[in-house]
Amino acid sequence: MPLFRSRTAVQLARNARAFLYLDTGVVRGEAPPTLEAMEETQARLREQIEEARWALANRDHRISGLEKELGGHTVGAGNIAWIFGTVRTGSTWLASMMRDGENHAMWNEPRVGELFGSFYERAAHRRDNENFVMGTHRKLVWLKSVRDFVLDSAGARFPKFARDGLLVIKEPSGSIGAPILMEALPESAMVLLVRDPRDIVASALDAAREGSWAYELRGTKRRERRGLVGADDAPLDDFTGKSQEEVVEDQATMYLRYVGNSKRAFDAHDGRKVLVRYEDLLADTLGTMKRIYSELEIEVDGEDLARIVREHSWEMIPEEEKGEGKFYRKGASGAWREDLGPDQVKVVEEITGPLLREFYPDGTA
Amino acid sequence: MPVYRQNILLEVARGIKAFLNFEAGLTRGPTPGEGGGIQSLEEAHKRLEDRNRQIAELEKKVRESRSDAPAGDLKPENVVWMFGTARVGSTWLGSMMDEPTGHTMWHEPLVGALFGGFYYGRGAHRGGKHGILGGPDEKRSRAIRAFILASAHEKFPEVSGDGYLVVKEPNGSNGAPLLAQALPESRMIFLVRDPRDVVSSNLSGKSEGGWTAEAYKRGRRQGTPPPSDPKAIVRKGAKKYLEFIGRSKEAYDAHEGPKVLVRYEELRADTLGTMKRIYSELGIPMDEDEVARAIKKHSWENIPEEKKGEGKFYRKATPGGWREDLTPDQIQMVEDITGPLLQEFYPEQQISRAGV
Repeated sequence: MPLFRSRTAVQLARNARAFLYLDTGVVRGEAPPTLEAMEETQARLREQIEEARWALANRDHRISGLEKELGGHTVGAGNIAWIFGTVRTGSTWLASMMRDGENHAMWNEPRVGELFGSFYERAAHRRDNENFVMGTHRKLVWLKSVRDFVLDSAGARFPKFARDGLLVIKEPSGSIGAPILMEALPESAMVLLVRDPRDIVASALDAAREGSWAYELRGTKRRERRGLVGADDAPLDDFTGKSQEEVVEDQATMYLRYVGNSKRAFDAHDGRKVLVRYEDLLADTLGTMKRIYSELEIEVDGEDLARIVREHSWEMIPEEEKGEGKFYRKGASGAWREDLGPDQVKVVEEITGPLLREFYPDGTA
Repeated sequence: MPVYRQNILLEVARGIKAFLNFEAGLTRGPTPGEGGGIQSLEEAHKRLEDRNRQIAELEKKVRESRSDAPAGDLKPENVVWMFGTARVGSTWLGSMMDEPTGHTMWHEPLVGALFGGFYYGRGAHRGGKHGILGGPDEKRSRAIRAFILASAHEKFPEVSGDGYLVVKEPNGSNGAPLLAQALPESRMIFLVRDPRDVVSSNLSGKSEGGWTAEAYKRGRRQGTPPPSDPKAIVRKGAKKYLEFIGRSKEAYDAHEGPKVLVRYEELRADTLGTMKRIYSELGIPMDEDEVARAIKKHSWENIPEEKKGEGKFYRKATPGGWREDLTPDQIQMVEDITGPLLQEFYPEQQISRAGV
């Protein structure tokens, strides 16, 4: 029985580590194997694993061939992890970290949830019509079509996707369709990412200012060019021409609809899923990331993950890209106390009340 | 590669040994003695088992697909789109085309509204490679094609072989270009009507007591109710005409499959002659007696009197009724908004310019 055992390893650079191992003690009978002997055992194991990997690769090749013969998909439903919630919840940050894992890829806001979900909600009065393409009585049929549509599109977008890879679909703006997508692809994993709605509205108010990132970078300019601004079906995050009061009310309503639908999907989903609060991610990024992967049953290398977390930390964002009016604004929680007026806070709390109480039962972030 | 290793073993008493294993160095791979090897091997074996299961299932499916390939599916070239906009007589034309043996009508699936409303509207700013309908046309078309054919096949398994599926899609015509691109071999009817009559019919249905207004009132329709202000109804109706007929025209002009342009007014004036032209230009064989029977069955005279009249779905069926129904200001508004289309499809008509 060793009296003292020490294992120290320090990452010096990517793939280069210094280590120091020390075992010392007193035993009766056989001494524990030396590190050299342990290394020999491990070498044998590595050889066996290599053989198993080779066998796996052969099987993957066979599976690809069979799927091709059947007209199957490059990206399997089980290889997808959806990030739902709503805008301004830190989904870009989370998705970027998840994208950087080995064999991981990220699809940045395809809005497939908006395509199907928004249409489904707007056509609620037609759902009982037997001819309607998304009618209730034909739900299994069109869910299968939605599934194929997503997988076909993902395959076209990621033609060289690794069989054991992970496709992170960051879909905050498409969260209105979360229930449809999760029902259509039940093997997929789901991340429900939430944030205090008051912080989201504060962030939206900042983005709504002319000259801010939302105006400059997002769709407003393009929508203007196409004459779509102010149209009946303009998305709620189209801020153009809106007063502060309207932005506050619209964003709170959007939160209720998008996070509400995401929660419905989350509750109904029997597969792998995890609920993440932005505030927890901010407070303990590495710990929360480990929890996410653990609950989604996705293997990640702990050291790689730590490196990824470091690379995507707030400190690593160039100073000129951060601040008021920019996409990376504060990277803090609870700032709504400074940014929103009492009336605005009241409006947000009234509209989003049920969700706010559920995700933030202590009343604060 | 370790740079220093020391293993010491000393017998300090009988049967009792003291040991010291020390190792330090630099490595690019896993550090020596790092745990997880056995776990990884087990994981590899577990994955192999999963793969073996998958292969067995897929091989079974391949065997089944070889022996039981579904026969008699709907042929994409036998899909007949009917585009235009609401209130152009598509229900009437669609009902007549539903009658011949082997022909079936799909009444407003709204698949065009699903894709068109997003592509040209809500999602228009996501036309890049990330957007679900963005990127190369062929990729988008392939996904939409599969969606349409799967839905049509499941809904109408009986339409196969030489059968035709007429998809009446006036309210989905805002997606006409996408649907036509997805099924380039399909056939297309582009049904137009004088926009002033279309708006006049719209106004009647949406005014107090009209069939559309009542549908909202009784909860048969949900969402934002139509405006009650006649001026707003007229403006909205004219803009919808511009958008939906405009998209239909875009699809019609680009479509290389069989296609036919039909004016409602001609269909009213000479129904049998126009029907014969439709089938002829679409290359669809027709039995004249069968079509004549369909025309008679769906004629204006055969619609019960109580279902016809002002504010009802079947209102006038009279081209040119707008002259009595619209005010000079309303006429001018429609003509201003729909001008280019009005002149293209009705070049023989003088623009009235506000009641001239």
